[in-house]
Amino acid sequence: MIENVKQINVQELLHEVQSMQYDGCRLITATCIDNNDDTIDLYYHFDKDYEIRNLKLTVPKGSAVPSISRIYLCALLVENEMKELFGLNVENIAIDYGGHMLLSDGAPENPMLRQQITIVKKGEENNA
Amino acid sequence: MPKTVIPFGPQHPVLPEPLHLKLVMQDEKIIEAIPAIGYVHRGLEKLTELKEFTQNVYVVERICGICSCMHAMAYCQGIETLMNLQIPDRARFLRVIWAELHRIHSHLLWMGLLADSFGFESLFMQIWRNREKVMDIMEETAGSRVIISVNTIGGTRRDISKELLLKTKVILEEIREDMKRIEPVFLNDYTVKHRLVGIGTLTKEDAQRHCAVGPMARASGIAMDFRTTGYSAYGELEFEPIVRTDGDCYARTDVRMQEIYQSINLIEEAIGKLPAGEIAVPFKGNPTGEVISRVEQPRGEVLYYLRANGTKNLERMRVRTPTFANIPTLLQMLPGSELADVPVLILTIDPCISCTER
Repeated sequence: MIENVKQINVQELLHEVQSMQYDGCRLITATCIDNNDDTIDLYYHFDKDYEIRNLKLTVPKGSAVPSISRIYLCALLVENEMKELFGLNVENIAIDYGGHMLLSDGAPENPMLRQQITIVKKGEENNA
Repeated sequence: MPKTVIPFGPQHPVLPEPLHLKLVMQDEKIIEAIPAIGYVHRGLEKLTELKEFTQNVYVVERICGICSCMHAMAYCQGIETLMNLQIPDRARFLRVIWAELHRIHSHLLWMGLLADSFGFESLFMQIWRNREKVMDIMEETAGSRVIISVNTIGGTRRDISKELLLKTKVILEEIREDMKRIEPVFLNDYTVKHRLVGIGTLTKEDAQRHCAVGPMARASGIAMDFRTTGYSAYGELEFEPIVRTDGDCYARTDVRMQEIYQSINLIEEAIGKLPAGEIAVPFKGNPTGEVISRVEQPRGEVLYYLRANGTKNLERMRVRTPTFANIPTLLQMLPGSELADVPVLILTIDPCISCTER
């Protein structure tokens, strides 16, 4: 239902983002979505004259993604967030807060990822 | 002269919310500024995955008190798109009325804080006296003063009677008259101009490069106001984005001052065109699919991304608030400024850290 979505891969990301900038697009933000498997959907949302354009990547959890903050400096906050909350290894962010932009020491790691919770009923501990 | 690093915030008299800046100084001049957040992160996006999609209206209202109405509006619009719900015309206009009341009270709150930041106490009190009147309207029409909780999926939870609409118009006229009296002090007073003119200039090119939004962008010459796309009932109302080209603290103040009058005009027009009828439509089932919903908050454009899977719980809700987009402009504006100008400069981006961190 989202309009103007272009599916790309990680190798194409910087080239595509650069094209967006040449085209005069404004970076709105990026969105990570845990797909409930081993992958994360990653959207980069751009705007030109109120028309939204999206780049979509599907990447394995914990994988490396190049930072776009050298093209759009304003991406630095959202990229730090992607790194902390979703565990993506965003490389070469213009200002890297080292995992402490939002989270403090001792906070759960990558809290936005879906946690696998195993419910063990009373009395079944030994069989589990 | 050796460089000095001065920490600014997170606790500072001028900051209503915790923002930390590491200012690298050479004498009294800033040569580098590194912003840091992370003091009020509440994990609200995660919470929305655990609550039912109908309960999330109340969660998103608590992302930020000042623009709570518009957070709920953006969220409800998104869910309504996913569920193919056509809300009643009256609800569309009511949403605009409450949203613009919120914009007025947000801008007045900001102007009062700005006056306080440069030590003009009486101006601060004059401004907040008017804000109090707006909050009284919200209390009478919605039952609460800040988090008014009027939006619901399918329309609005409350209606406004004819008598209250008339009373609202009278009070707004009082505010307009009072603001006309205060405006010359804000825009022509020597001391105020001395603190605002030429300070923290963001050129149009820099605003575009840093992807600024809202009054920040409009004060730098970018005619960008998401209301002009006509969501809710804005397409049936007459207005143009208010744009200034100087890009300094004064221009940002002027934009917000003029937007107060603009919002009063919009409310009056919306009241005049308010159609009769229902205020909400019932709905069944759960949303499915992905959607992006955007509205113009007092501080700029907010984006909601929603992914639903046909159950009562959303798979993902993402919010990009305007302050999140405007913080990087500080990296451009602060270097070269004097230390004494930092409080005013930071305030003119109207930072809302509760929004930013969620």
